[in-house]
Amino acid sequence: MKALPRTKTVRRPIHALAAAVIVVLVILVAAPLAGLVTRTLDADADGVWSQVFASPLSENLLWRPLGNSLLVGLGVGALATVFGAFLAWVVVMSDIPGKRVIGVLATVPFALPSFAIALAWESVFRNERIGGTPGLLSSVGISVPDDLSWGLVPTVLVLTAHYYSLSFVIVSAALLGIGGDLVAAAELTGASRLRVATRIVLPAVSPAILSGFLLAFAEGVSNFAVPALLGLPVRFQTLSTRLYGAISTGDAVRGYALSIVLVVVAGMVLWAGNRATKRRSYATITGKASGIRTVRTGAWRWPLFAMAALLVTLTAIVPGLVLAVSTLLRRTNSFDGGFTLHYWLGESDSAIAQGMRGVLRDPIALDATKSTILLGLLVAVGAALIGLLGAYVVRHLIRPRILGSTIGFLSYVPFLIPGVAFGAAFIALFGAPIGPLPSLYGTFAILVVAGVAASLPFAFQTSKAALGQVSNELEEAAVLTGAGGPRRFARITTPLVSRGVVGGSVLVFVTMVRDLSLVVLLVTPATPLLATMTYRYASEGFTQHANAITLVIAVISVAATILARRLTRAQPTGIPS
Amino acid sequence: MPVSAHPRASAACSVLALTFALAACSTSTEPEAPQIDWASMSQDELVTMARAEGSVSVYAFTSRIASIEESFEAAYPGIDVMATDISSTELITRLASEHRAGSATADVAYVSDAPVVVTELLADGVLESYVPKRVSESLPEEFQQPLVANRLSTKVLMYNEEANPDGPPVDNLWALTDPEWSGRVMMVDPNVRGDYLDLVTEMSLRADDMAQAYQDHFGREVELDDGVEDAGLQFITDLYDNDAILVDDTDTVNSSVGARGQANPPVGFTTYSDRRDNEDEGWALQVAADVAPSPGIVFPAMLGITAEAKNPAAARLLVDYMMGDNSETGGPGFEPFYVAGDYPTRDDVVAPTDALSLGDLGAWRIDPEASAERRAQVADYLLTIQ
Repeated sequence: MKALPRTKTVRRPIHALAAAVIVVLVILVAAPLAGLVTRTLDADADGVWSQVFASPLSENLLWRPLGNSLLVGLGVGALATVFGAFLAWVVVMSDIPGKRVIGVLATVPFALPSFAIALAWESVFRNERIGGTPGLLSSVGISVPDDLSWGLVPTVLVLTAHYYSLSFVIVSAALLGIGGDLVAAAELTGASRLRVATRIVLPAVSPAILSGFLLAFAEGVSNFAVPALLGLPVRFQTLSTRLYGAISTGDAVRGYALSIVLVVVAGMVLWAGNRATKRRSYATITGKASGIRTVRTGAWRWPLFAMAALLVTLTAIVPGLVLAVSTLLRRTNSFDGGFTLHYWLGESDSAIAQGMRGVLRDPIALDATKSTILLGLLVAVGAALIGLLGAYVVRHLIRPRILGSTIGFLSYVPFLIPGVAFGAAFIALFGAPIGPLPSLYGTFAILVVAGVAASLPFAFQTSKAALGQVSNELEEAAVLTGAGGPRRFARITTPLVSRGVVGGSVLVFVTMVRDLSLVVLLVTPATPLLATMTYRYASEGFTQHANAITLVIAVISVAATILARRLTRAQPTGIPS
Repeated sequence: MPVSAHPRASAACSVLALTFALAACSTSTEPEAPQIDWASMSQDELVTMARAEGSVSVYAFTSRIASIEESFEAAYPGIDVMATDISSTELITRLASEHRAGSATADVAYVSDAPVVVTELLADGVLESYVPKRVSESLPEEFQQPLVANRLSTKVLMYNEEANPDGPPVDNLWALTDPEWSGRVMMVDPNVRGDYLDLVTEMSLRADDMAQAYQDHFGREVELDDGVEDAGLQFITDLYDNDAILVDDTDTVNSSVGARGQANPPVGFTTYSDRRDNEDEGWALQVAADVAPSPGIVFPAMLGITAEAKNPAAARLLVDYMMGDNSETGGPGFEPFYVAGDYPTRDDVVAPTDALSLGDLGAWRIDPEASAERRAQVADYLLTIQ
């Protein structure tokens, strides 16, 4: 838009918007991050940085775990992107049977807790190394090598199974945005199917692929449960197990230092990713999109179906079933005791689980469900709004470039700040009254604020991917017609990216209802959440009860996903003509 | 007990209270409320004040606090208990953060991880001690300091009694470093969970006992490798070298060691009271009590009052309640914690009979302050021998 005289009128509101976004991000992300950095530098930090980087401890505290974290992060990022993009293409563009069911199932793994998938892995591949009940293969006499049971390989595969949903959601939204007419036009010029795929479809979804990769990478390196469960038995340590270990053995400052290392590493990956895709336009949405053009897969139809079906069966149905069955087992993770509905419906019976009644008889179950859903919705809306505005600013703000990069960075790193540190930072920020405003601490509002902060990466990355597809020419045309900034944003940008944004909101919602660590320091007895119920049961070893609540959470998440898909399908795509 | 019976004690307490008040004044610019002499207050006065406050908020590291909430509210109608259960780590972080922000929402903390409590909370004055006068005589001095403890829990060596019907497969911890136990000793990674770090720290603090046990087992004096400071750390070094299996939680140790139907089950360090789940879960967990020099550690669960408690009287009443009544089992206030394999701290409460007595168990009792001083070095050492 270099030659347009109206550039200034476009820019001014953008600067105001940029300022607003920066202020919000500084409060929500930069301040907690600065709090971490300060803690590692103050007097009682006791030279933590030299311990981490230059001491006899460095090798096992930092370098080897860092190497493992990078292997895990890059492995999960790459595999999750390949699987997620493949399924997205199959579901959106191919003509295989059962597309809708596969589409729903592909979002399920993210709704399941990562430990459920790890448990499913163990139930098959667990070998004799740690005694107890062996997995399926070992119990039929097949010896499973340690490398397949424990350590890097299972950690990467389990996390991939958990996080490919991210790429699936983002890439399928992007594929839906490619007009069928574009593909048709290309085919009319005689382009081969391969050429259409590599020259049109792939470029069109590459912002989405990058976003999916970045999210899976960040989630992969920050996940603690899976490497702890599958890595420790062979002393496979990642930065996340090291940093949570440091915090939970009472050396919080060392844990904070390691999490800052993770933030910096993730920042470099983000920079590299953005650089790789810089200065290219991926705009494919140039107006009203026509319907999707389905690709005839011919002889490949059934093999593709088999691959897609196998993938979702292994990652959604099997872990889901393992989780569901585990709530019905009389004995924890063992078939010896037979089946029971006690953990769902039972009255208190002193012979079972120390007299703990079934979860549906827990008086707070209903309240917890309500407040969990409310929290998920509010956070999803809040994060989507900030994420969309942030991504819009980054796309349209030409100078100063540092502002765009700052927004991009701050919106990417919240995953990497441990929940406990986030919570502590929010207590510091909002614990005391600010001027005339009362203290937010102890209210529902602070949960929402913290939730928005922690789940911004989903909202920002999905919005960024969606905006990457929208052509600037549309806005320029609108400028010519005299439409003001807010009006353009509301009437042009928002409808065009709605699919991506809704997809991102679902991811935010799912994370919020599932993950306790984000809000654990901020919840009060007055706002019971399902995730706190899970914790309460799990901490006393009531595994079945805990898994039952986890299943409820998964069902809510899947229902939300299906609902959101209905919503976007009913919406008009493209500009109202 | 009438106040006048111990004029000297209460005078001493008043001086103490005054000292605290002065200390508090020196760090705070806000006008102080008149100091209350809790120690000389009668039970009735305390209850009256607590009723006037009407509520009390407690952070607890165990979900069993829910049954305390129920029974306390029944015992003292009109006082509402708000219980938050979070892990000890998060509890400690939360209290410290609230203290720094000046926005305490808890009145009472029920917390494990005693050494971390010493360094993170007591050093900064986040928590204060309150020893109910009623129990001070039946509570050994060591459980009144640095905070009052109501019970002890364990991390001890357990084995599978189905596979070993004649008793523990080892009689000395050093046997676990022999080749036949390679890859068959389990524990939670002490660099990941604090109570296991406390276990290893205690081995280092009891280095002389460990050295003697080495002598008993191998018939010669222990030789320390380069860079190994004591026999306790030498033990953990040899154990790691013998392919000890580290996992991330106690339940995994329980099910691996305890599962029935195993020909050659591992042994592992875990919680003695988890044995109560044997029948429920199909386990055969048993403690290796006679192992030399000691099967492991016992450590306290402690009760403290927050420095800025908004309901100071109700807070003290709740602590008083959780210390148990004068019956043999400690009554309803101790009921959720009256579990075989855990130990009441009061010497007039009789421990459940389904478990070994504390004396017969022979576990080391950790000293939170000594442990706090040593454990960071032990954690660093463990990092070097992965």
